[in-house]
Amino acid sequence: MSKKPKIAMYWASACGGCEVSLANVHEVLLDIDANFELVFCPCLVDGKIKDVEAMDDGELLITFFNGAIRNSENEEMAHLLRKKTKILIAYGACSKDGGIPALANLSSKEELFNTVYINNPSIDNPKGIIPQRVTIVEEGELRIPEFYNKVKSLGQTVDVDYFMPGCPPEPDQLINVVNLVLSGAELPPKGSVIGVGKTTVCEECSRKKSDKKISRIYRTYEIIPDEETCLLEQGIVCMGIATRGGCGGLCPNVNMPCTGCYGPPAGVDDQGAKMIGALGAIIDIAAIKDMPEEDIPDYVDNILKSIPDYAGTFYKFSLATALVNGRVNK
Amino acid sequence: MKVGVYLCECGTNITEKVDLDQVSATISELDNVGYVSKIGLMCSYDGVSVFEDDLQKQKPDRVVVAACSPRDHEATFMKAMTKVGINQYLMQMVNFREQLSWVTEDKQAATDKAIVMLKGAIARVVQQEALEKKSITMNNDVLIIGAGPAGLKAALTLAEADRKVTIIEKSPMIGGLPVRYEELFPKMECGPCMLEPIEHEILHGDHAENIEIITQAELKEVKGFYGNFIAKIIKAPRYVDTEICIGCAECVGACPVSVKNPMNSNMNEKKAMDFTFFGALPNATYIDYEACLRSKGESCEACKTACPIEGAVIFDDKEEIIEKNVGAILLAIGTQLYDATLLPNLGYGALKDVVTSYEFERILSSGGPTGGQILKSNGDIPKSIAIIHCVGSLDENHKSYCSGTCCQTGFKFAHELHHKVGESTITHFYKQLVFPGKSDYPLYKNAMNNSHAKFVNYLSTSDINVVENKKGVKTISYKDVSGISGEIEADMIILLPATIPGLDNESLSSLLEVNLDKEGFFEELHGLVDSVRSKVKGIFVAGSCQSPTDIKGAVNQGVAAAGYMLSGLVPGRKLEIEPIVAEVIEDKCAGCHVCVLVCPYKAIQFNEETKKSSINAVLCQGCGTCVSACPANAIIGHHFTKEEIYEEIRGVLS
Repeated sequence: MSKKPKIAMYWASACGGCEVSLANVHEVLLDIDANFELVFCPCLVDGKIKDVEAMDDGELLITFFNGAIRNSENEEMAHLLRKKTKILIAYGACSKDGGIPALANLSSKEELFNTVYINNPSIDNPKGIIPQRVTIVEEGELRIPEFYNKVKSLGQTVDVDYFMPGCPPEPDQLINVVNLVLSGAELPPKGSVIGVGKTTVCEECSRKKSDKKISRIYRTYEIIPDEETCLLEQGIVCMGIATRGGCGGLCPNVNMPCTGCYGPPAGVDDQGAKMIGALGAIIDIAAIKDMPEEDIPDYVDNILKSIPDYAGTFYKFSLATALVNGRVNK
Repeated sequence: MKVGVYLCECGTNITEKVDLDQVSATISELDNVGYVSKIGLMCSYDGVSVFEDDLQKQKPDRVVVAACSPRDHEATFMKAMTKVGINQYLMQMVNFREQLSWVTEDKQAATDKAIVMLKGAIARVVQQEALEKKSITMNNDVLIIGAGPAGLKAALTLAEADRKVTIIEKSPMIGGLPVRYEELFPKMECGPCMLEPIEHEILHGDHAENIEIITQAELKEVKGFYGNFIAKIIKAPRYVDTEICIGCAECVGACPVSVKNPMNSNMNEKKAMDFTFFGALPNATYIDYEACLRSKGESCEACKTACPIEGAVIFDDKEEIIEKNVGAILLAIGTQLYDATLLPNLGYGALKDVVTSYEFERILSSGGPTGGQILKSNGDIPKSIAIIHCVGSLDENHKSYCSGTCCQTGFKFAHELHHKVGESTITHFYKQLVFPGKSDYPLYKNAMNNSHAKFVNYLSTSDINVVENKKGVKTISYKDVSGISGEIEADMIILLPATIPGLDNESLSSLLEVNLDKEGFFEELHGLVDSVRSKVKGIFVAGSCQSPTDIKGAVNQGVAAAGYMLSGLVPGRKLEIEPIVAEVIEDKCAGCHVCVLVCPYKAIQFNEETKKSSINAVLCQGCGTCVSACPANAIIGHHFTKEEIYEEIRGVLS
């Protein structure tokens, strides 16, 4: 039996990208293997839930828990891994803030099922069958996890030690965190967001920034942005100003706007609200000076019209933990 | 943490609607509440001393006062706290009077609400921090831009109080517009005669050593803030030393070059070496270099040769950059007339003897193109004159406002016409006539009583059409307000265009970051109670660059601005900086620039080297706009921190 500390990586409601980020550490994986035993990671190694259940409490040194809590299985696994883990890390945007799955919180379970299983041009489902928790078949009873009405983050489900944002987190940041644990140095206070930069993406973005006034908003397909100027100044909604740094400014540095995957900056409770507040501050309203009062809402609406999807733009990764966190409140 | 809660009864104002005993009993049980005291009239002399004594006895860590609006007595209680040695920002006021007892009828509902309000305040005050006022040294000197009546009177007022004043003036002369007018309404005083004593006081009076006048100068750059501005001024070469020139005019006679005279709207000519007008101050000539033969490479020295004063003519005079450190800046750059060619049906610019009010002022002036005689361009005396009021005014397509001074100008012209050309007929076309105040009526009455005068009330300038036949006779066809059409002939037509912002309002606005209103005038801090302060602290506005006004209005504003500067810039006194301001936490600032343009007080600078924003605490008014705009949560609004606000909400909801 190996004496190496045990670690796990689990996927709840997730896409698998977080596992890819682990694979993306390349040869460092050998160092990780030299120092840890990856005992449980359904995507990469053959470990079973019963093995985890058989462990002592706290036997796992670290669990990198990725994915949101969408259904009862996700929730059960969150509780199980919490129990068995010393350092539980909410790994990735879904686990930390609900991520893209949490955008479903704008619809009820019934609406979602209706869209996915019934009212969908590519679905042929004349009987209107939707998933049932229990289905009786000849051989007996089939059970699947319960699909919840609302997506939660890991932190809204169990006690979490650290949060590591990103979609997925940058491999370098994962290496930093692993090295920190290995070094034996004092860990940051519980509840800290780790593997991140000090400020926002802007600090890591090499584009030239100046005073901002934008008079219309473009979607990415509408213009070819200048490669050196701040994308936001060019009218593209780049979430970098309201997003925690740590990614190295990957997207804006290759001419694509930040979509906010590293979540709210330190001390910000609601990433989308902060972005909307900032956008409100930089939208050029000089033109309203001579405008009759009744025309002003139209002028502002016209500017905002070019944002097709407020929630998908401003809360793409953080709706579950936002102040106003969805339409369904159950 | 020991929070002391004080409940003011405000006579019966509060007790009538709120059961303070019930409030006291409930609040006493809350966390952190050390004690609850009730005081009868807390703002009274006795009430304040009871408060002070109690503070000294109880020594609370935080204080909550439930009384009236903080606008009424927050300062009173803050002072009391300071007096007993408790930081005044450790107090939170709850408005039991205006927001509660005066607006809630049901005593139980009011009492419940009182408890909720107090819960919020107690939760908040625990989060509040002791804040310290800072102070910085101020420069007491003043820069005035524009040497018209507003600027000059402001300068004199300041100089009399021993402040050093620099006046910069774009033209080669001081006095502004009125010094060019022969007579001034309402009392028909001679313009130059009225202003010359002021100008002389400025140039040679008892306090002249406190005033420096720089003519032909413009503001190039301003850095800094209230109390500490650094202004860069560009002074164009005059080629004449105003200090030693005695204004003998020998050089003028000698100059071989004649050019159009802009002072007289090009209606006559002047020399390349000349005065702006005879009698202009400073009493010195200047060279219009573009007209001077020397600019064309010739070696003419006629003026220098004729000059009896050695060194007065300086051919190698150069543009100068002058730097001034000042504490405050006054913008008093005056006005100009609306371009009458934009109303082509009135014939201005196309027909002879259709003149603007300014041009007619110059025709009336003894220093003008006709030496003060009212003559048409062909030298004849006009027999019939039309005065068209409201040109470009009260018109949504041009200027929607009334300039307020043109009526008096028109009546003044009527008065002058009556005296100078006697029997001429005068037709006033007007949209509205205004003659407010105690002095304006006589000129109107005089114009009305003139038996040769006729008044036509029209609705829109498009109802007036001026045409000229081959013999040069001008006919004005019009439709009046009742729809009746008519026609008159006129030898001379005087237009009274709207007064509009000065030529440099726009450039100075961007240079000083002072806002313009929608008409382009400098925007005041408040239209009724603060018309001479701009929204940028330490930059004041006066006269018709702020709003159309007459000489009286301009001078009053100039002196008012001087008053603000005297009360604000006091030698030996430091500038006290309110601690309720926003502050950038440098470590958190990512340099995104979002905050910079948001600030209405231009208090935010971006440092290109550190790539961080910073907030000037002198300029910051603590409004919080940048705090909410900062997407990185890098700006803290002192006394209104997120923690304080959240706790207050939590307290209210608890």
